[in-house]
Amino acid sequence: MSTNKLISLRDAVSRFSTDGMQYASGAALPVGSDAIAFGREIIRQKREKLHALFHCNSQQLNLLAAAGAVDRAECGFSGLEVFGFANGLRRAVESGRLALEDYSNLSMALRFLGGAMNWPFVPATVNIGSDIAWRSAFAPNAHPAEEKIPVIADPFTGKSLGALSPLKPDLAAIHVTLSDPEGNAIMIGTEWSRFELSRAAKKVVLVADYIVDPACSRQFPNLVRIPGVLVDAVVWQPFAAWPQSSPGAYDIDEAHMRLMNERLATEEGTARYIDEFVTKTASFDDYLAAIGADTVERLQKSSSSFLLDPYRHWIKTREEVETLLARNVSKGGA
Amino acid sequence: MSASLSYTRQEMMAIATGREIHDGELAIFGVGLSMLAGYFAQACHAPNVRSITEGGIFGATPVGGLPWGIECNRISSNAVSFTNAIDALGFLVASGRCDVGVIGAAQVDKFGNVNTTGIWGHEIGNTYTPPVTRLTGAGGANDIASGARRFVIMANHEKKRFVDKVEYISSPGYLNGGDARERIGFIGGGPSAIITTLGILRPHSKTKEFELAAWFSFSSIDEIRANTGWDIRVAENVAQVPDPTEVELAALREVDKTGMLRKK
Repeated sequence: MSTNKLISLRDAVSRFSTDGMQYASGAALPVGSDAIAFGREIIRQKREKLHALFHCNSQQLNLLAAAGAVDRAECGFSGLEVFGFANGLRRAVESGRLALEDYSNLSMALRFLGGAMNWPFVPATVNIGSDIAWRSAFAPNAHPAEEKIPVIADPFTGKSLGALSPLKPDLAAIHVTLSDPEGNAIMIGTEWSRFELSRAAKKVVLVADYIVDPACSRQFPNLVRIPGVLVDAVVWQPFAAWPQSSPGAYDIDEAHMRLMNERLATEEGTARYIDEFVTKTASFDDYLAAIGADTVERLQKSSSSFLLDPYRHWIKTREEVETLLARNVSKGGA
Repeated sequence: MSASLSYTRQEMMAIATGREIHDGELAIFGVGLSMLAGYFAQACHAPNVRSITEGGIFGATPVGGLPWGIECNRISSNAVSFTNAIDALGFLVASGRCDVGVIGAAQVDKFGNVNTTGIWGHEIGNTYTPPVTRLTGAGGANDIASGARRFVIMANHEKKRFVDKVEYISSPGYLNGGDARERIGFIGGGPSAIITTLGILRPHSKTKEFELAAWFSFSSIDEIRANTGWDIRVAENVAQVPDPTEVELAALREVDKTGMLRKK
């Protein structure tokens, strides 16, 4: 008998997040597989002064930064790929409201690996010899910023290397395609650093597009890269990454990506966005209504949807998931 | 024949970049222009190029147009393996195993250093203040610039982008030139070319300063000099780049189904 860790999004945020925490999340693809549903709830619960650790920026960090919920952030990539600059994040950085510490897409992953391994540092052959090493938004008066990526000597050859600091976030909200109620999870598409992150964070909440029967995990144990023993809670949220994509499940919502980024470019637009697509979308039904029934149907007709086929048999219906959730509510949670 | 072909400057840049990628190489492409150039090479003259993306998508080609991101569903619909960033950018790129990478630049300088982090409008100085315009950060380009055996930079050729010294080095080229790169101890060899909307720049073998190596049939040495922010030297063997062939243009447009490179 496996443990049922399913809880509501609201309970997950209220139980596992605090003001000022180091919060790790963000996209596996810079414009996909992002647990942004968790970020929307963070805003609804008015968390603030977050220290965001995002392998890559995503619409979630863009939104949290625009909403003023983040004071400090560390990132590899900080744009929105083909959708351009992340206007909310950009505005917060340019105004000096948010200190953004730059790394690269490999060094962020290596820092999560370092945290997972409990290493004091990770030797780096990247980021050295660049302003990523020499400039620090967290220590702006230090030039070169010797404490960000200090130069160390290889003990075997004496050659110079950079030392990357490890990351152990207080909380990681990780998007997965499928999870069983215990938190055994399958990610369709590339992992980026979700494997390392799930081992580096002090608490792990999964945000899953689909809940599957535990038999699914036992059928594909090689593909369960985040086992339930690492997971504190599981949140079910269809279209959890919207307007970003989830390989196998749904495509990117191009129109909403643009609308969202346009709104986040100004204070007024951000307030409007939050009112319309955050405050008023707390319930499942309101959230799906905000996406729109036609859009939901269209986005699910993805060229990648065949990737979900092997698992469809085990996907739980809404009624089944709600029954599991209700059991936890009556027991007082996972 | 090719003189009658109609194509955009962006298409010429993508084709010239694609020509830098050789058959059989292990190659990594960023999103947007560089991905189009890379998949053009694969569709045209380098069918056995082994391409990977930063997050670890292996063996895929874009379906339904230019991907929105490096691992978007459009590049996830015919892959043979999905792995992760430490695999792709670490095991295969930072290790020195990757032959060639293609990266973009908001600003590039005479030693091939790339800035994609921010525009300050002046030297930053001793205190790191927020930029006037925040850009996208280094992403995986720093890792490619550090570890790939060689890399190619693509950029629109404008004076404001081609500067004497970048304000911020997001992805290192040859730093201050000469042997500066070797002294840091990078595993990768550095930028082999800057392909622009006007021509091709290549580094001098000793000084590592980028020189004008070739112009396109629609551009000229004078136009390139006028649009470069440093006093660019002209290489001894400077030449005109051959125009795109019909085969090349057809291959590029098959990859660029959404016509991103044909927008004016």
